[in-house]
Amino acid sequence: MTFRHWKAKLGHYLLLVGIVAVGVGAFNGIRQASRSASANFGLFNQAVSGRSDFLIESPTQRFGPEQLSSLGRLASDPDWHLVPVIEGSVTSLDASGQPASQLRLIGLDLLALANLPSILEDPIEFAEEESTWHEWLGSAQDVWIGRGAADKLGVEEGDSVSILASGRIMEVSVRKVLEDDDSNLGDDLVLGDLPTIQALLSRPGEVNRVEVVLARTDMREDRGYLEQIRDRLSGDLPTGMRLSPTENRAADRAAMTAAFRLNLTILSLIAILVGAYLILQALDAAVVRKRTEIATLRSLGVNGRIIFFICILEAGVIGVLGSLSGIGVGYLLALGSVGMLADTVNALYFATSMEALSLTWTDCLVGLGIGIFFSLLAGWLPARDAMSTPPAQVLSKGDWSPGFDWLRNPKTGILLLLFGALALLPPPFMMEGGSKMPVGGFLAAGAWILGAALLSGQMLVLLAGWLRPFCQGPVSRLACSRLRDGSSRHRLAVAGLVVAVGMVTGMFQMVDSFRGTIREWFDVRFQAELYISERGVTGAGNINGIDPLLMDELLEDPAIEYADVMYLCHARPKVGITLLAGVDMDAWSSRIRQIWLKQPGSLTPVEGSEPALVSETFARRFEVLEGGTVELDTPNGKKLISPVGIFTDYGNEFGTAAVSIDSWKKWTGSDRPINVSLYLKEGVNTNETRDRLRLAFPGLEVRNAKELREVALGIFEQTFQATTALNAIGLCVAFAGLLLGLLSIFDESVRTWTTLRHLGFSNRQFILSAGLEGAGIALAALVCGALAGLAMGWLLIFVINVQSFGWTLLWQIPLFDFLRFGALLLLVGFVSGCASAFYWNLKNR
Amino acid sequence: MRITTLCFLLLPLVLQSEWIEPPTRTAKGYLVPAPDYVPVFPADHGSHRAYGIEWWYWVGHLKEKEGEREFGFQSTVFRLAGDPVEAAKPADGNFGTRQLYLAHSALSDLGEKTYLHHERVLREGWQAKVSSGDLAIKVAGIEVQMLEDGEGHQVFSRLPEEGMLKLEMHPIKPLVTFGDRGLSRKGGSPAAVSWYWTYPRLEAKGTLRYGGEEIAVQGTAWMDHEISSSQLGENLAGWDWTCVHLDDGTELKAYRLRQKDGKADPWSAVYWIDKAGRATSIYAKDFTWKEEGSWTSPDTGLSYPTSVRIEATHPTRGKLVYRIRPLIDNQEFRGNGRGNDYWEGACEAIDGNGKKIGNAYLELAGYGGSLGARLN
Repeated sequence: MTFRHWKAKLGHYLLLVGIVAVGVGAFNGIRQASRSASANFGLFNQAVSGRSDFLIESPTQRFGPEQLSSLGRLASDPDWHLVPVIEGSVTSLDASGQPASQLRLIGLDLLALANLPSILEDPIEFAEEESTWHEWLGSAQDVWIGRGAADKLGVEEGDSVSILASGRIMEVSVRKVLEDDDSNLGDDLVLGDLPTIQALLSRPGEVNRVEVVLARTDMREDRGYLEQIRDRLSGDLPTGMRLSPTENRAADRAAMTAAFRLNLTILSLIAILVGAYLILQALDAAVVRKRTEIATLRSLGVNGRIIFFICILEAGVIGVLGSLSGIGVGYLLALGSVGMLADTVNALYFATSMEALSLTWTDCLVGLGIGIFFSLLAGWLPARDAMSTPPAQVLSKGDWSPGFDWLRNPKTGILLLLFGALALLPPPFMMEGGSKMPVGGFLAAGAWILGAALLSGQMLVLLAGWLRPFCQGPVSRLACSRLRDGSSRHRLAVAGLVVAVGMVTGMFQMVDSFRGTIREWFDVRFQAELYISERGVTGAGNINGIDPLLMDELLEDPAIEYADVMYLCHARPKVGITLLAGVDMDAWSSRIRQIWLKQPGSLTPVEGSEPALVSETFARRFEVLEGGTVELDTPNGKKLISPVGIFTDYGNEFGTAAVSIDSWKKWTGSDRPINVSLYLKEGVNTNETRDRLRLAFPGLEVRNAKELREVALGIFEQTFQATTALNAIGLCVAFAGLLLGLLSIFDESVRTWTTLRHLGFSNRQFILSAGLEGAGIALAALVCGALAGLAMGWLLIFVINVQSFGWTLLWQIPLFDFLRFGALLLLVGFVSGCASAFYWNLKNR
Repeated sequence: MRITTLCFLLLPLVLQSEWIEPPTRTAKGYLVPAPDYVPVFPADHGSHRAYGIEWWYWVGHLKEKEGEREFGFQSTVFRLAGDPVEAAKPADGNFGTRQLYLAHSALSDLGEKTYLHHERVLREGWQAKVSSGDLAIKVAGIEVQMLEDGEGHQVFSRLPEEGMLKLEMHPIKPLVTFGDRGLSRKGGSPAAVSWYWTYPRLEAKGTLRYGGEEIAVQGTAWMDHEISSSQLGENLAGWDWTCVHLDDGTELKAYRLRQKDGKADPWSAVYWIDKAGRATSIYAKDFTWKEEGSWTSPDTGLSYPTSVRIEATHPTRGKLVYRIRPLIDNQEFRGNGRGNDYWEGACEAIDGNGKKIGNAYLELAGYGGSLGARLN
């Protein structure tokens, strides 16, 4: 019976399979793209020297020559190899001298690589074997690049490449192109000898981390041996350094973006929920269509369980086919969105390159599992309806769907709303790396949106009642009375739409609130005339810095009235990572405007600790909103800082603590500024000064406030590209859902239509009435969905963002967007009503 | 008188074949060890940065102080100079390009028949520092420093699996300088000469940490310090080398420089060092080095002639026979790089009648490919 229907309605079933595919694809696509964007660390090691087993890091992720020397004893142990690594971002320049692409410089002691155990069957050959060791190293400008990078840059061995590094334009020479068949090296990786890369990044003697590679590769999976090695390493580790398994570095970084990725995953789950709703509607429609047949079969004595099994089987087949297609769709979606997501991650967190997108068995299983689960779940209610269909009742009466009777009962909806409120009471869940997961917020979001969906049927009836007095003529009266009857299927159609509307309007608020807050923040952040940073570097997390000599040279410019120089590095609190800034504390507290959550001086610093101005994120993360101390690990030992003021900062999610420049330099042992804001003397022409500085310092990015604002806003707009895509999905789902829902409603109302036709109701009137019915459903969904959306917006801004990122945003409700979306939804409702009636009419002629 | 004087001056040349005047620098530009150089210690125990190649080498036999266990050990630090123009300048940072060092440590457990070894290749700086003013070496796991008495020195070697050997060494005999006019010749090429200074018999005492145990050990060691800029002639494939602490209190050093055609180079030599530390030498024409047995490495597939018979004609004592037998077969030192494997191990010396006459160390290098090009 089922497959006869499939044959007859192939297009319809293909649409169903497609719906499951889109749902599963959205979830899987986001999952894969997210993984690809965040797990790139360690690729170079696997490609060049095999993976490392442990990492030694300093609190600032920088080792000076003295710190490196202090590792001398550890380095001489034959049971492992210490591999110092320096890493930095530079930008290649095209033939016209314009920034072309970002490159990742990795500096390793290339000679010491010979000590490492050969892990790869075919180790990468750096140069001809017979050259002497010093000839093999080449000149101080020589670098090695992978085939991908060579093709991207259009260079071959012996060619020169101009790069921007630490504010200077430099030349490197391609010593050798590393043929790398598996593309492990990536198309942005540039390898060089340690001193060469140190010189290019103008960080002489400095390394970022020291990787530990076990001499006995056969023991690297032996937990006991690894623990023993870790104990030995930890025992001799100089103070202030930290040892961790290699994966922890990736985990640290992953933790930074965990909240962000979690947001996306939750949103993709909502997409699946909406997909499930579509399946439910579609399967229900199928049951409605087959009802006469089912009733006939039942009256012939076919067991209800067999009917149930057939319906569930149908849902299962749709689930399997849809999920299989969804896995493919997900991969395609990920291909499309991976760059977009990477841009988002790059913009917000740190420069990263993409790992090759991969489809794993787990992806396939998760996709298959989710698709089948939701299909079966969606098929269950219609199947139960079909099973219990009483033949005589069905054959005599059209509207019969006890499976959805619960939609008429407001209790569940109210209980869900209450549960959501209660879920907000417990504190957020602490994740590894120090970030927080707002479990309660997500539970509340889910509960509220479902609650609103369940209660939307009530709203439909209520609205129809209110509108009835305004209805003139048979068409509108018919539509209104049908809505006022509030059949289970009408309620189901509204409920599904509510989910989509809630998702879209919630997003509207988050994006708008974010945008509004950021604009206000930028007004304060970019109050100087000129801003100078390392050229070609994007992303809030990039902290390579400017050559201090170059900075000194720059600051001698006579046009400068005041220069707000900023120093920045990573610092290690007890858990995770944060940012430590060195700033002119007096100027920050007085002449430089900030958006203060707590004015400088409103908090009393704890005696014996360093006074600091901290960001809101920092204050929330370390619970010092009302003052207190936070211990930070620095190369100069553990330091206590105590907030004297709290400013808002949306630059990063791990928080910033600003101390005086002198302390910063003393603590970190570095003198590399990250950027400088220039306040020019009165009467000085900003643009002329900018142009002059650009000519004098071609390696530096010199921008005026307006330009920078635009660039910065561009970065934040990038951040929300993913949400725009989800909004589009929401709208499409709303349209398809409404179309399917209405078709099912009309199928169920055959008798009503036949009676009306006999009474002289024209096709035009029928279509118009259906359109109004659709619009009515859309209106009810809009009201409930918007309310749910407002609650979602509130949750996203005041609970989820505060707990995930430590940011308080200004809650902005984009009224215009709401109205536009509302109008669009009403139109969609009307059109889908008309379209479904037209189609139904054609079908039933 | 003048004739007598001339004859006296020419006598060594006649005895030790012809003198070849070395150039001041090699073709690559490194300084070549000059003849008639009188080393000044402790400065000449240190590094000679302007010369291409240099090594400090310790081997010996050790016995458990309060037990029967016996061990052989090797600790070697090699230095290879970088660009000849820059090499002599002081170190340039943590990852310098002026000098490259290799550290080789090995331990042979003669009872358990096991062999531990370990290599590190390091550029000058972070993990490799060698003084130019005295014997002060710190290269990876090998650390050497002079003892306060100014005579002895301490050698500390880290070994794999948490192992460590710390020995204090005191010369029982004075330092010996090998070769003619202070130059040891390693082939027909004029630049193939070295300064070759040896403590032939050192009393060694110290601690071995091995297999989780701290073992007090004592024994006899040999130390070489050799400086050159062209260690082997170009037509040489490698060398076989041995040092023997004979039970009668004298020592023997012998080496065969192997040509690519398999023959011994005329500059192959045998040295006898008497109880007073005086050396007597002969060259290839006066001795034979015959292979009496070999061992094939299961790891590298290389075959090493580890059993040797040396028949040498002593200028005064006539024909002498020394047979060298490995105490463990597998003492192959496998380097991290390709083609650098060699066999270096503890052996015993027996006479022609099979009677043990001393402890030896045997080195068999260049069986995995020609070393001539690399050490030239």
